[in-house]
Amino acid sequence: MSEYLLQMKGIDKSFSGVHALDHVDFAVRPGRVMCLAGENGCGKSTLVKIISGVYTRDEGEVYFEDKLIEHITPAEATRLGIQVIYQDLSIFPNLTVMENLAINSEITANRKLVNKKRWEETAKEALSKIGYDIDLYAKMGTLSVADKQLVAICRALLFNAKLIIMDEPTTALTKKEVDALFRTVRQLKESGIAIMFIGHKIEEIFEISDDVCVMRNGKNVFLGETRGLERKDLIYYMTGREINDDFFVPKNISEKPVLEVDKLSLKNHFDDISFKLHKGEILGITGLLGSGRTELALSLFGLEHPHSGKIIMNGREVKIKSPQQAQSLKIGYVPEDRLTEGLCLAQPIADNIELSSLKRLSKGGLIKKETIYRDAQIWVDKFKIKTDDARKNANTLSGGNQQKIVLSKWLATDLEVLVLNGPTVGVDIGAKQDIHALVHELANEGLAVIIISDDLAEVVVNCSRVLVMKAGRIVGEMEGKDITEENIREIIM
Amino acid sequence: MQKSTVWQRMTKRTEFYIFLVLILMVIVIQLVSGGQLFEPNQVVTILRAMVVDGLFALGCLMVMVSGGFDMSFPAIAALSYSLATTICLNAGWCTTNAWMGFLLSVVFGAILGMLNGVIIANFALNTMLVTLGTQTFFTGLSMGLFELKEITSTLPKGLRAFGEWSLFEVESSAGLKSSMSGLFLILIAVAIIVSLILNKTMFGRALYAIGGNEVSAERAGYNVKKTKFILYTIVGALAGFTGMIRVCMARQSIPKAMVNKEMTIIPAVILGGASIYGGEGTVFGTMCAISLITVVTNSMLLVGIDTYWQKFFNGLIILIGITISSLQAKRNTR
Repeated sequence: MSEYLLQMKGIDKSFSGVHALDHVDFAVRPGRVMCLAGENGCGKSTLVKIISGVYTRDEGEVYFEDKLIEHITPAEATRLGIQVIYQDLSIFPNLTVMENLAINSEITANRKLVNKKRWEETAKEALSKIGYDIDLYAKMGTLSVADKQLVAICRALLFNAKLIIMDEPTTALTKKEVDALFRTVRQLKESGIAIMFIGHKIEEIFEISDDVCVMRNGKNVFLGETRGLERKDLIYYMTGREINDDFFVPKNISEKPVLEVDKLSLKNHFDDISFKLHKGEILGITGLLGSGRTELALSLFGLEHPHSGKIIMNGREVKIKSPQQAQSLKIGYVPEDRLTEGLCLAQPIADNIELSSLKRLSKGGLIKKETIYRDAQIWVDKFKIKTDDARKNANTLSGGNQQKIVLSKWLATDLEVLVLNGPTVGVDIGAKQDIHALVHELANEGLAVIIISDDLAEVVVNCSRVLVMKAGRIVGEMEGKDITEENIREIIM
Repeated sequence: MQKSTVWQRMTKRTEFYIFLVLILMVIVIQLVSGGQLFEPNQVVTILRAMVVDGLFALGCLMVMVSGGFDMSFPAIAALSYSLATTICLNAGWCTTNAWMGFLLSVVFGAILGMLNGVIIANFALNTMLVTLGTQTFFTGLSMGLFELKEITSTLPKGLRAFGEWSLFEVESSAGLKSSMSGLFLILIAVAIIVSLILNKTMFGRALYAIGGNEVSAERAGYNVKKTKFILYTIVGALAGFTGMIRVCMARQSIPKAMVNKEMTIIPAVILGGASIYGGEGTVFGTMCAISLITVVTNSMLLVGIDTYWQKFFNGLIILIGITISSLQAKRNTR
């Protein structure tokens, strides 16, 4: 018996001419965490779908516990002990925790009638697998993402899983929840289960994985142990280019502040916040979830209304009651959740870019389509947005490119202050780098930028000054060389 | 982890509040009308008036739980019973009993429902639009192809007799005699059956699962297409059955009698706690909502409100129901 649980050799797969997987070799050992890394569109989800039986391979061999598996169907994969936990977790928000836990086994057992007692026993058995305790009669939709994930894991374990594949499980989790998830993953690993972790967050790959497989453009460019792998090598494998963290060095900071916030307070969110922002600098505001950082950002854009304190723009006190008002004061805001807050996905890329500039582009209240596309093309080129036509809908783009649209939407207007809330959440590392470089360029052209983020690496690389928030108050301020992840972490908790 | 109690779970449900409103309305009407609501003949009339709407609502409920809308059930009912009664009349059937009429109507309903099912299951189209299309199509068939006519005084005796099935006679304090319709028992029986299907069978749980998250249901191993096909067939058969009940009760078969029925039944089901996004809804809630609407509309005269106001109150109840449903959906997605 070989040391591998799952072994794949020379896997090849094409979709109508597109070579999605190019002779990929892959292997997972029992009791290990294997991270499958790569940027969006590199072929990792195709590989997962071949393992789980959703797609059929064109070429290559798959061995599970040393047995050649000729044809994998989803049912066969389940029988072998392969379980996939998709990013959306495949749960039923309208059903109870108990039903969510038991329904898959009931269907697999081909039951026709419901037996509440049996369902309850199945659910309890599932929870006991990782010693997790939750109200069985709570509605799934009311649970936190972390709890939903644990339920999904428990459900997978009911099928005597030997290999659990998790598709980007940390995307919607807070740091604390990620830690809890990783504890569970380690617990599963110790019981001999192999875990396949799909993701692109560098820090998490190093924290949790024993082995790494990196894919790029349908090929696997690295397969081996995580130990001994250098961070910069991993990034190189993923992106195919050298990425150096270019620390931001402000070139021309204005003498007078463009924005001043004086003793600003919002009940239950933040209290007594004061800071000054100059043109040409990038100010970081960081803090844990619930520290008030997001509410502070929203207040600057008129979406929250502080009950006391002052906001001063260019020496003049202003009241910002609505986003329209903020816009007319030349303040822009890029939300964290670009999908729900920042973009009209079913609209053309060009229309999205020019959404806030329609007034500028219109003549006598009328708008010419040509003008929009011409102006938008400038931004598409400048931001290297990956599309062959700005007339295509925004949902044809990857996450990173969508985020670039939201950014260009604001830059297409004439701004003085730009507030970025979690600018690279869910964006892969290559696009992240592009976005950072662009923000640096904009700051040096004279824009004042605020970055709100809990991604400390991002804060360190991009900000010339950092405010740390905790429980609604500013608990620390750092500048230049003092900004390090350790220094921030020391006061953030 | 704290376990929720039965009471906590119950008070979170829309059904519970509809039930409270129903009780409240009954008390108010009883007081305002000077005790007329609980006159035996009034009670009997209301129970009888619930039968057809209640049966239609149960079919709607099953579709809505699966995340769909059925706009075509009135057209299915009308076409099925019109065909069935016409055939019975011409063949000389149903002179002593009604079962042949019901059998035909149910079979026709099932066939028409199957057509809905085939389209919806195979082409993954919006159910509301598909059934709006089939609704018009079925009505067209009834008028154009079959040239179905009204059947009134010539209605077969067996059907007429079944509609007059009486359990017992009651007498009001003023001496008015009314009979308790046996058809109410049919509503109770069907309600129990639908409740059992929804809660005690894997098919029923599949409807909730599909309504909650269709992709997950597919991944979990349900055959979503087959489930939808069966669902629309059952609902079609129920529509055909209900239509025939209506014919028996009204002692006439009028092809156009069901027009716009969906516009009052669907909102009532929503009022009863079914979600417009699917995955939610119970038989108990639906029955409470139907009772509420029937009690209110039947008692308007008792409390001295002109019947013109009937539509006003119906509309009001519908708006309230839809608002509750949307608010609840919002709360659940948080």
